[in-house]
Amino acid sequence: MKKLTYFPGCSAHGTSEEFDSTLKLVLKTLDVVLEDIPDWNCCGATSAHVMTENLAYALPMRNLVLAEKLENTTMGIACASCYQRMKVTKVHMDENPELAKRINTTVVEEGTYQGKVDVKSMLQYFYEDIGVETIREKVTKSLAGLKVACYYGCLLTRPKNITNFDSPEYPVSMDQICEALGATATEFDYKTECCGASFSISNTEVVLNLSGQILAMAKESGAHAIVVACPLCQSNLDMRQPDIEKQQGIKYDIPVFYITQLMALAFGNPIDQLKFPKHIVPVEGALANIGKVSPVPEKVKKPIKAVEAESEVK
Amino acid sequence: MITLGSQGKNTFLEDVNKKSGANVLECYQCGKCVSTCPVSQYMDFPPREIMQMIKLGLRNESYMANSHWFCLTCSACSGRCPREIDIPAVMEAVRHLAIEENYINDSKKVKEIRKFHEIFLSMIKRYGRNYELRMMAEFNIRTRNLFKDMHLAPKALLKGKIPLGVKPLKSAKAIKRMYEVAERLEKNK
Repeated sequence: MKKLTYFPGCSAHGTSEEFDSTLKLVLKTLDVVLEDIPDWNCCGATSAHVMTENLAYALPMRNLVLAEKLENTTMGIACASCYQRMKVTKVHMDENPELAKRINTTVVEEGTYQGKVDVKSMLQYFYEDIGVETIREKVTKSLAGLKVACYYGCLLTRPKNITNFDSPEYPVSMDQICEALGATATEFDYKTECCGASFSISNTEVVLNLSGQILAMAKESGAHAIVVACPLCQSNLDMRQPDIEKQQGIKYDIPVFYITQLMALAFGNPIDQLKFPKHIVPVEGALANIGKVSPVPEKVKKPIKAVEAESEVK
Repeated sequence: MITLGSQGKNTFLEDVNKKSGANVLECYQCGKCVSTCPVSQYMDFPPREIMQMIKLGLRNESYMANSHWFCLTCSACSGRCPREIDIPAVMEAVRHLAIEENYINDSKKVKEIRKFHEIFLSMIKRYGRNYELRMMAEFNIRTRNLFKDMHLAPKALLKGKIPLGVKPLKSAKAIKRMYEVAERLEKNK
């Protein structure tokens, strides 16, 4: 049994409740026990660092200090934005003890920051601490037949000097996990494009444009569904999808899963525990592809001469 | 207008460099940031031009541009910058300086973006966590756009996508104290 300090983040109690609950199902299979940071607070998200420097460090620091009181020294974070704020704070505080001392004056009562807790996104935890092979071993119901576009967004792998995980341009960790579950990860070029993130409410026009491009590229890659590990990406791509379809006049109908939902499914959890009814875009169509694997590989490469002959006939 | 400090020093460049930890002078204007930026099309001045404006000491014009408000801090630009300049940190420095020196861009979009962040921070100050439903309601009221996103509400509420309440922190007082100390730090820099 492994232990992991857990920072759920505000959205785990709200828009991404299904991420949180399926994560817990997955970790049960993987024999990892979560320990919540007691009385954790919001990380400040985008708003804190947009408006002020000190608060943007102070809010995550309180959580880091509280986490240091727990036995385990690795903190797992589900939300990509929380992860980013926590990691930025950790890296900057560790680099600059003078700054850490100054920010620490905002959370004196909680304790002194020591920098002994490591911060990881859950995707990073799965990839580095659990391992793709262990995940493969736990699969009881292969997702073979399902084609997915793995979408990482901005914050899980960028900036490289902060996250120090996977590639900032073409990451593959989620693709490898999905393949271990039996699914096929498509060649998807918009893996790390921005979905519009925090503009979801204040500047919706930008989100419809950027998320619309991601949906279009995912569809073009031949995916039945998009897989994400970030609550804001999920809500922008899923909840805003009907509006995007209306604006572009194209029907995408492409559901957006959390990676943990697919893992829990492949680990044999009953489908009614996976919170699929919470999705705005129905998931049934995409899930119906599971098990539909043609015995012959779909793309049999024709010899070049045959292709030339065909084009001559046309 | 180009405003230089005493002895012709570009104090704006110095302020931005100090705050961001970057060296804007290293920018050689290749424009890779602009072609990478997902929101450059919405900016008054795309990142490359802002970098040049800082080099020229155009304090006023940089503050009043909407560029730093539209920056999503996605870090795509800095990842591809051949000079490895932390452009989002530069944008952030310009924005923080503009806020500190009370420069207000009153275009509708910037006002809305700023209002959203202010409401978000007030939610955390009050509850220690984000109260999504209340935040959205306040945003609609304070931007006088009551029916924004209302078509999403029935589904989102019915599916429990957006919960009706929030579980506030036990130590909510700690957060209020943190805000006070952080504000004091901000002033005594």
